Amino acid sequence: MSSVDLLLPLLVAVPMLLSTVPIALGLRFDRTGWSVAALTTTALVAATTTLANVVYTDGVVTHKLGGWSPAYGIELVLDEFSALIAVLVAVTAAGVLAYTRVGGPRGNTFYSGYLLLTGGLLGISVTGDVFNLFVFLEIVGLATYAMIASGDGPESAVAALKYLILGTVGASMYLIGVGLIFMATGTLNMGVLAEVLPAAVERDPTLVRAGFAFVFVGFSMKVAQWPLHTWQPDAYQHAPDGVTPVIAALVSTAYAYAFGRLLYSVFGPEFLTSTPYLTELVVTVGCVSVVAGSALAVIQTDVKRMFAFSSVSQFGLIVAAYGLVTESAFIGATIHLVGHAVIKAGLFAAAGLIAINYDARTVDEYAGLADEHPIVAGTMALLLVSLIGIPPSAGFVGKWYIALGAVEAQLWPVAVVILFSTLLTLAYSARLLEKMYFTPATPLEAPHVSESVATDGGENEDDAETAAGADAANDGDAGARGGTDTAALEAITANRDRNTVSYGMLALVVATALLAISLGFAGGFLADLLDPSFITEVFN
Amino acid sequence: MSESILPLAAVLTSAVAVVLIVASYRRPNIREGWSVLAALTQFGIVFSMLPGVLDGTVYKWSLQQSLGVEFLAGIDFVLRADLLGMLFALLASFLWIFTSFYATGYMRGLDEHDQTRFFAAFAASLSSAVGIAFAGNLVTIFVFYELLSLVTYPLVAHDGDREARIAGRKYIAYTFFGGGVILLAGTVMVYWLTSQTGTATTAFESGGIGALAEGAATDPTAAQITFYLLITGFAVKAAVMPLHSWLADAMVAPTPVSGLLHAVAVVKSGAFGIARVILEVYGPETIRDLPLSVPGIGEVGLNVPLAILAAFTLTAASIIALRKDHLKRRLAYSTTAQLSYIVLGLSMLHPYAILGALFHIPAHAFAKLTLFFCAGSVHVETHTDYISDMAGIGKRMPLTMSAFTIGAAGMAGMPLIAGFVSKFYMLLGAGYVGGEYWLFAAALLLSGVLNIAYFWPVVYTAFFESEDRHDAKPLLEFPAGGIRQFVGDELATDGGNRDEEPELNSDDDSGAGADSDADSEADYEFAVDQYPSDADVPGGPGGSSAEGDADSGVKTGTETAGTGHDHGHAVAHDDQHEHHGGPPAGGWTRHSPLTESTWLMLGPIVVIATGAVVLGVIPGHAAFLDLATEIVTSVFDANSLEQLRGPLSAALEVSTQ
Amino acid sequence: MIDAALDILASRYAYALLFVLLGTGLYMVIANENLVKKLIGVNLFQSAIFLFFIAMAYVDGRAPIIEGKSHGVGEIASPLPQVIVLTAIVVGIALTAVGLALIIRIYAEYGTLREDTLREVRADE
Repeated sequence: MSSVDLLLPLLVAVPMLLSTVPIALGLRFDRTGWSVAALTTTALVAATTTLANVVYTDGVVTHKLGGWSPAYGIELVLDEFSALIAVLVAVTAAGVLAYTRVGGPRGNTFYSGYLLLTGGLLGISVTGDVFNLFVFLEIVGLATYAMIASGDGPESAVAALKYLILGTVGASMYLIGVGLIFMATGTLNMGVLAEVLPAAVERDPTLVRAGFAFVFVGFSMKVAQWPLHTWQPDAYQHAPDGVTPVIAALVSTAYAYAFGRLLYSVFGPEFLTSTPYLTELVVTVGCVSVVAGSALAVIQTDVKRMFAFSSVSQFGLIVAAYGLVTESAFIGATIHLVGHAVIKAGLFAAAGLIAINYDARTVDEYAGLADEHPIVAGTMALLLVSLIGIPPSAGFVGKWYIALGAVEAQLWPVAVVILFSTLLTLAYSARLLEKMYFTPATPLEAPHVSESVATDGGENEDDAETAAGADAANDGDAGARGGTDTAALEAITANRDRNTVSYGMLALVVATALLAISLGFAGGFLADLLDPSFITEVFN
Repeated sequence: MSESILPLAAVLTSAVAVVLIVASYRRPNIREGWSVLAALTQFGIVFSMLPGVLDGTVYKWSLQQSLGVEFLAGIDFVLRADLLGMLFALLASFLWIFTSFYATGYMRGLDEHDQTRFFAAFAASLSSAVGIAFAGNLVTIFVFYELLSLVTYPLVAHDGDREARIAGRKYIAYTFFGGGVILLAGTVMVYWLTSQTGTATTAFESGGIGALAEGAATDPTAAQITFYLLITGFAVKAAVMPLHSWLADAMVAPTPVSGLLHAVAVVKSGAFGIARVILEVYGPETIRDLPLSVPGIGEVGLNVPLAILAAFTLTAASIIALRKDHLKRRLAYSTTAQLSYIVLGLSMLHPYAILGALFHIPAHAFAKLTLFFCAGSVHVETHTDYISDMAGIGKRMPLTMSAFTIGAAGMAGMPLIAGFVSKFYMLLGAGYVGGEYWLFAAALLLSGVLNIAYFWPVVYTAFFESEDRHDAKPLLEFPAGGIRQFVGDELATDGGNRDEEPELNSDDDSGAGADSDADSEADYEFAVDQYPSDADVPGGPGGSSAEGDADSGVKTGTETAGTGHDHGHAVAHDDQHEHHGGPPAGGWTRHSPLTESTWLMLGPIVVIATGAVVLGVIPGHAAFLDLATEIVTSVFDANSLEQLRGPLSAALEVSTQ
Repeated sequence: MIDAALDILASRYAYALLFVLLGTGLYMVIANENLVKKLIGVNLFQSAIFLFFIAMAYVDGRAPIIEGKSHGVGEIASPLPQVIVLTAIVVGIALTAVGLALIIRIYAEYGTLREDTLREVRADE
């Protein structure tokens, strides 16, 4: 192991310290934020992959901060479970940065917030201390509120405040839970807690159960489980287009990871199954969120809002999987965490790209998108298909393990909900697919049959250049296309003049789509990462 | 068992073609060239494995062994060309060759939009269909089953109008309910059941998965539920009632899609899946050992409810088909019925019935594809979709309608055409089992009669009637149960009983023709002239069939009142669908078989119709019967088919010896 | 029964009081229409939690940090919760600052601090 564990504190400290740099440099230079952030996240990707490599070959890496004993000091731990999330965080943070260079809110303060967020998320992944976890939850929260509020309109400030109040209450709930557990055991270290909790449960079960209840409510709020999800749609919808991908992909994922960590590493499967009605409660909350989230997603008109409700539903699936307490379900939850993060990052990035460049934000405005912009529409379609869980894709692998877990636990109603969630996801995804591919852009064109035939021919050539040279620089082309119809296309042209698609944005969206598909073949690989050591340790 | 990349190559051929088709979208000729080339290559690859497979070799490609990637923990991604898979893959890839020619002719003939998307999705469908055929375990078949649903969706919703979108929604909802929900549930259950008694597996084994049989013995209820989950999952695509209604709606798709996918590849993938479940997941023996106890009746075989459902479907769908005037919809209900032949044959469990069912997969495919191609070619040349508009069309399209007759005879199970052989074996199987299974034999025979009842009118009207003199079609035009005045007093059909006509209108809009007088007929004629149906067919000889106006004026005067039914009918359809079908005002012009349409469409029709006859006359020389026989003997572990004569229990004894 | 209840109240009055404070804070967050007061509610809620940590900090044993020297054994204040509360207060202040900044922005944009008015204004847009 040598001194590789020294990387652990650096993982958290470096981005947080460097988050001050853009502001400091901002006093003299205008646009340094992106470069600082890019350098930092690249370094983080290297560090996390190195650490993950060590973890998966040699086993768990731990670091005691300041050399204090774990009983009262803070310990950082990277094991098989957290290494996956740490790599996900670093890679996604670096990837989305490519997107924000052109698309996102620019300015040095934004990148300060971005680095703070990254540091906080990595902190959540590596911490081995329940109170330290609270601090990182709040750091992530703070950075998120600030970044959401950096949107253009006043709406984003309202959404951020709503999130701030609910998020703080949620984190505080978690803090109460930590207090109660501390009362029962006298320690805050996760590893030590896991050892002493069984005795504490015997001594005073009510205290530990009350602690669990507060932790659960706190995380239900943070992960946005129905009915505590109300902050999420507003926050996702009004956040700037460059911010939503990283928030949607990572923040809730990190929270859900932390919840899973507490459930399995701190409370342990035995406590979960032996406490009456506990698993039933967790599973019910998850299942209700699956159904309610999807149902609400179907009726949304705003695309980003629809995806936000979709997140409620997908995290419901993960929480339900946690509640099943079987090995397969836990593997499924972990894989779905990663898979969903990739898919949602791609979906929100694509939605942002479309919003910025083609000014389409509602489902209706997506009509005919596939003809105009085949690459973006195709990528979006691929991501939606992965979200539905059509194999081979990331969404399918997670669902397979979760469904298997539900069957193994022989909880048939849960199995039914999990399997039917495919159909529920299909309901809103298909709506978007149909709009993009099978609904003509402007209904006014329909009556002129002969003219629209000519349109097809013309557009084909147009698409050709789009495909060949990316959508970026065909402003002139769009003008040529204007021959078909006027108002709508002129609006698009005007928009294109204002903003152009960067290759970075397009590349990120395409790369996530490909990653989402290739993860579909990694089902066995991901399960192997967790299986031999972590799973057996937890479940025995 | 031999390691080979051939099964993967067969699947990837058309997947690669998708990329090439999309890449060459600016050059239609090259694009369609890729399509044809991929079809030929795919068939070549599949065909090259045929001799080996018939000798008992199984070509297998596994993701884990070749690339070291584990698809899911404990589950490999396997493509395996075995006997059963060969049957389906050979069929799909062979028919794709001709369909790709036909599709070219069809799409160009109609000057359709988004042809690139169409051909790309078509190639992707074939890729998935061959993947389904070669899938080596339930998870792999699930992957391709889902992909097939996905890539056929753009084909169903191709038109992009309201009707197509709604049909697309219905299609995708049904297929994902069947695949993503029910079939996945069944697959997970199989994995769980086998994990309880040993190593978890979902890999197919001829005669049933051994571990599953043990698992079923410990937990029979779960095994029974799993069986029905799997069957239901596949039955959605096989259009078994009550999950059939997507099929008729999916007929809004272009005809090559209806032909190859919704008569062969997609729907057969459902029937094929059922065959896999019955023969290679559960196995006839396990199914027999898991009787359901039904209150009031006693123990009933697990297969019997399925057989009853199939028998019901094939009767009910035939009856519904009688009343469909839209030719493609009638064919769709016929498909629903014919697919249930296959399901019924498989669920009777007797080796001969299974043999018949397996042979019915290609038999129906050839005959039904002929029928669809004919319907499509009629649509392209004359824009006629409704049977009531087809009186005398045999003059206009003699070759097409002759091929249609052959296909229809095959559907009805006339000797010397493919459908007869399969039905013969199924009846034999029902006979060997005896007992209540005579009921199923009766259903098969009754359905044959119904087949004649709904196909004969098409043939009759095409060849033996003419535009201005044809009979009423009581089943189509009258309300269910009939109208007394037509039966009782034929001569007074129009002139008399005027007072009853308003009632007639309110009953059934197709009966509206009864009150059409000279004025409305004149309107109708004018409508046809205003939009001459054939004028916009480029390159086709149809243009020459646009007729002189003077002709129509004469005809209006001379028309008999009896034709009022037909024309009123057409007017009603015009209102709804904006189609301008039916004979041109001067009647159909007579064409020779060589000039009635483009050879891009006629060629495939001739070849496929010939195929249907070949399968009926010399089934033993056309590979499919050999394959089906080999499958049955290997499932029942017998040396020859003769051993398996006799009741089902005796046939199963053979397998245990 | 009543004696027992009184006994608990007498020995654990701090907890009872803190949960009243907690409830008050939460009620303000939910029921008050004024955004600033909502934020004050959040602060109250958090303060109650801090006090809760302080109140439970008495433990039996000796101070853990000072190794080797055994001072008096008995009820002492554990230093760990103190540290926790210190950290949490810092976090809480940061949150309040961000919250107030957002409220100032909202006020500048909409000219109101009341949530019901805000809702009307936004609905009109």
